[in-house]
Amino acid sequence: MNITIAGCGQTKFGELWESSPRSLARQAVFTAIADSGVNKKSIQAIFVSNMLSEMLGMQSHLGALFAEELGISVPAYTIEGACASGGLAVHSAINSLLSQRYDTVLVLGVEKMTDHSSEYISSALMGAGSNEERLAGATFPGLYALLARAHMEKYGTTESQLASVSVKNHFHASLNPLAQFSHPLTLDQVMRSSYVATPLKLLDCSPISDGAAAIILQRSPTPKKNTVEIIASEIATDTLGLANRNSLTELQSTRKAAKNAFTSCGIAPSDIDIAEVHDCFSIAEILAIEDIAFDKKGEVAKKMEQGEYRLDTGQGLVVNSSGGLKGCGHPIGATGVKQIIEIYNQLHGQCKDRQVKNARLGLTHNVGGTGATAVIHILKKHD
Amino acid sequence: MISPIKVWRNQKKYAQQIGKVGTIISWTIINISPEGFIDQSPYPIALIKLSDGTNTLAQIVDWEEKHLRKNQPVIATIRRTQEVAPDEVIAYGIKFKPLD
Amino acid sequence: MVGIVSYGTYLPKSRLSLADIASVWKKNPEEIIKSLGVSEKTVPSIDEDAVTIAIEAATQALKNFPQKRSNIGALFMGSESHPYAVNPSSSIVGEFLDIGHNYLSADLEFACKAGSAAIQIVASLISSKQINYGLAIGSDTAQSKPRNALEYTSASAGAAFLLGSSKVIASLEAYTSYSSDTPDFWRRDGSKYPSHAGRFTGEPAYFFHVMNSANLLFQKINLKASDIDYCVFHMPNGKFPREVAHRLGFTEAQLAPSLTVSQIGNPYSASSLMGLAALLDIAKPHQKIFMVSYGSGAGSDAFLWETTPDILAIQKRKTKNHDLVSDQIKNKTYINYLDYLKQTHKL
Repeated sequence: MNITIAGCGQTKFGELWESSPRSLARQAVFTAIADSGVNKKSIQAIFVSNMLSEMLGMQSHLGALFAEELGISVPAYTIEGACASGGLAVHSAINSLLSQRYDTVLVLGVEKMTDHSSEYISSALMGAGSNEERLAGATFPGLYALLARAHMEKYGTTESQLASVSVKNHFHASLNPLAQFSHPLTLDQVMRSSYVATPLKLLDCSPISDGAAAIILQRSPTPKKNTVEIIASEIATDTLGLANRNSLTELQSTRKAAKNAFTSCGIAPSDIDIAEVHDCFSIAEILAIEDIAFDKKGEVAKKMEQGEYRLDTGQGLVVNSSGGLKGCGHPIGATGVKQIIEIYNQLHGQCKDRQVKNARLGLTHNVGGTGATAVIHILKKHD
Repeated sequence: MISPIKVWRNQKKYAQQIGKVGTIISWTIINISPEGFIDQSPYPIALIKLSDGTNTLAQIVDWEEKHLRKNQPVIATIRRTQEVAPDEVIAYGIKFKPLD
Repeated sequence: MVGIVSYGTYLPKSRLSLADIASVWKKNPEEIIKSLGVSEKTVPSIDEDAVTIAIEAATQALKNFPQKRSNIGALFMGSESHPYAVNPSSSIVGEFLDIGHNYLSADLEFACKAGSAAIQIVASLISSKQINYGLAIGSDTAQSKPRNALEYTSASAGAAFLLGSSKVIASLEAYTSYSSDTPDFWRRDGSKYPSHAGRFTGEPAYFFHVMNSANLLFQKINLKASDIDYCVFHMPNGKFPREVAHRLGFTEAQLAPSLTVSQIGNPYSASSLMGLAALLDIAKPHQKIFMVSYGSGAGSDAFLWETTPDILAIQKRKTKNHDLVSDQIKNKTYINYLDYLKQTHKL
């Protein structure tokens, strides 16, 4: 595809009371511009990724807002697909480069969530699902809880196995200075947290976060050595609500997008060294690893419990070295872009304490709602 | 503020749903509920397979622990759904009761 | 000949025992239960109201109605807990029952006799041949102030009667009504809880109006209490209907099967209607039922019903579907006083 990542920038994720969407965007973008060595004037378009600005902040028209804020007066617009907004924005940016309309574009994912009460945010997040789900009072954790229970019924997955996902991701996050959480969690702490929607407990759920992440993408027919390229970008769509799904124990959108991504670049799941997957809830990471076909259905939970996928004890693929959504935080519009940044840093050997040795191929997996949208990107270090 | 027109448009399909039976596919008890559902909480929601082969997602009411299981038969009825302000139009919708 | 074609009832699942209420206010439970003749009452779920309860009752009534619902030409719903002060419960119920749009409806309020008034109005529309079928519903989730005496009996239920002129299971042989302006029990607009005038609610209110309406009916039908099989009266508690039955010459046996109050309390506009339904569940063909409602403010509607052989088929279907009043009374879950406060929106 000849798409290279010229530079990246990310703010810390967390409860950033003093930060506004504008200040978050400035920080992430100017870091990305500095990292890329690209002149600000050569950016030809801005793809903004955001879900809740309209509902929470009463502000739409973010393309124009950030173009002005950043002093980059170019074509700019927002892409939204609930929690998959980031992945969708990266995909749209790639399309614009493949069309040869542009050579250099900016993707900015930004979300400001902590100005509002958790009940209000909980309501707003239900916008990712269907009207029927909202009228049933089905919160986002509630919907994933239905998936968790179905998985437990079919494969014997236990709450303790789910909890080990959060333990792993908090351990990884403790090694990531930009992560929301810096403290590791014990299995006992996760198991003792109170139920949000049975069987999912508070510590099975990703947090409410503020943050921004930005990348600069370029079309480069002759990429330089050691650049990081995006070699696959695929989206798949499934039904909006759970009621019309074919399966409750797999996200078919993930399956389809992953299959198409691997086929498009001739890579197998076993070639991937490092993956950032969409762990909005612990069960979501189990489903992701299964549905991307990294491992067999029904076997991932046990492997997770035994210490696989971890930086320290994993034997193969490392999952969510950034801390994932659970440990690093989940400012919705920023997550999909942050995932790209983590893989970019891993492939460049810049991750210090959480560096995966000899990482050459990475994958990002970004999901919208309960699996209505799934976006897969595969990144490669160019020799 | 829930639009009364949206309430009206949504309610048109409910008359046909009353009395429909189905079975529970998966369920959860929501302990932390969003605005509009706080007074009702905690409450179970379930994915239900209806006898006509389609699925629906709805709240379960008049329940005991023993009813929250896969394959539990349930029947559709009308209840108030979202809590609204005293000067707003009342939102009615479909919820499901266990069938013993 | 006008009469009941089909009927349906609904009781919310929760029950609160009077002993629990008494112990909250440090009163003697046995004394209260004995003096009221009530041991427990129904409490609506937090998401139920007079409209949802009316829909449940009417849905059951329409289960046994083989014709097209669009033949229903009137729907009157009586309640003292209509969810809106302005916006008819009747047409919300009509819409959810999918009876089409060619019907007359309006909401009724006359304290506990709004449901029985609905029956007389619908019956009149049928006998004047203005409509073929009509629904008369009494439904309530009536409120009472904590610690007030009414708290022991104010309950919740719905009863719906589909009236028509063919294939009736009980014909309406005669009816009378007696009305006055009597301030025994009232609730001002905007006020959450009703008020009452203590002992004035007895002789000058309940007894005066029930006796007068009943005597008007006896004169009209030219029968004595001993010519009648069953009687049912409005049941604000277990004592008043027993006393008035006795005064009118009815025996305990004629009254007993109608006394739903002891297990469900007083569901206001549905009270005498629930008692009537309980009688229809067990009556044999060609039996006479003497019914007198009472509504504070005040007034009394009296009815003489006579069952037909068609009642047997409905009883059989209801027995099979566990739709009898006795089935609904048994289908219960006990709650405590705190749940009662939450469910009735007092907390």
